[in-house]
Amino acid sequence: MTPADAVSLASTIALLLLGLALLLSVVRIVVGPTLGDRVLALDLLTVLAMGFVGAVAIRTGLTLYLDIAIALALLGFLATVAFARYILSRRVAGKQQP
Amino acid sequence: MTQIIFGVALVLLWAAITANFSTPNLVLGAVLAIVAVGFLRRSFSEPLRFGKVRSIARLTGTFVVELLISAFRVARIVLTPDLQSALRPAIIAFPLSVKSDAEIATLANLITLTPGTLSVDVSEDRSVLYVHALSFTTREAFIAEIANGFERQVKEVFA
Amino acid sequence: MIEAVAIYAGCVLLVVGALFCLLAAVGVIRLPDLLTRMHAASKAGAVGGGMILLAVPLVSLDGSVALRAILGVMFLVLTTPVSAHLLARASLKSTDNVTFTALDELGHKKDPSL
Repeated sequence: MTPADAVSLASTIALLLLGLALLLSVVRIVVGPTLGDRVLALDLLTVLAMGFVGAVAIRTGLTLYLDIAIALALLGFLATVAFARYILSRRVAGKQQP
Repeated sequence: MTQIIFGVALVLLWAAITANFSTPNLVLGAVLAIVAVGFLRRSFSEPLRFGKVRSIARLTGTFVVELLISAFRVARIVLTPDLQSALRPAIIAFPLSVKSDAEIATLANLITLTPGTLSVDVSEDRSVLYVHALSFTTREAFIAEIANGFERQVKEVFA
Repeated sequence: MIEAVAIYAGCVLLVVGALFCLLAAVGVIRLPDLLTRMHAASKAGAVGGGMILLAVPLVSLDGSVALRAILGVMFLVLTTPVSAHLLARASLKSTDNVTFTALDELGHKKDPSL
């Protein structure tokens, strides 16, 4: 097996596994049951999407995709922080107006 | 002095990341480094010592090993057919002996990424860290493991 | 020769990383409550994502790519526990039902003003 074949095979397997993982985390987002579960699954979804972009970078040989992956990680972190603050503030607002 | 070394390191890092060592890019990097050092001015209160660098390196090493172990352990638990008996989740109050914000934050992050533990909350007076465990045995053994492992190394780094 | 070894190592790292990502997702589906799910997502997710990022420079063999990948992994490892901690704290304070725990030392100490 030449290195090029190995890269092609490994990236295909990785993309399949990541696709399955994305599907599972979408199931958790739909099922819930609490808002926290959904936010957690969304957080995992951005990490998985980052992995997907990394696998595409390896498959195509375009390392520019790596920057996209890192930006996606940053975006996922900020989104989770914002959601956590929203969950906290919703609690406070709900208490003021029952 | 520490600030200058830090700034130069930042400029070199910027040039390496953008893969561009031309003069305009270095100047841009220098401007960014000065802004960053300006923001972080208060964090440079004490000089960097060699012993400290070594204890930071040791902490990083332990951390990477523990992170890999924890990923394998979570993977094994996830793949167990009988989940209910494999899991024994608990929230445990861990008495903190480290006091400063930086130490507590470092310890909490390390705990989250190590086997079977997840830091959940810190009490208002910063004396207790609430830790969620995936499968704990006894409370005392659990607390001793963290206190003798990471907490001591964190203390060495910030001492 | 060295290049071929690096490429094969990168392929292995890519597949193992993807496997950890899949296990994180399986954990999020299978585990019984939010906090235990968080264990799977924060640990296996961070390790899986980090391994895939590190596989990119091994396959492409480029110094600046390697540096960017290492920075990306450092960023991921630093931010994942912070977001997990924030989310655990927020959801524990907003919902009082910790459904599946053997011992809960936070439960009876919960601040009544919150």
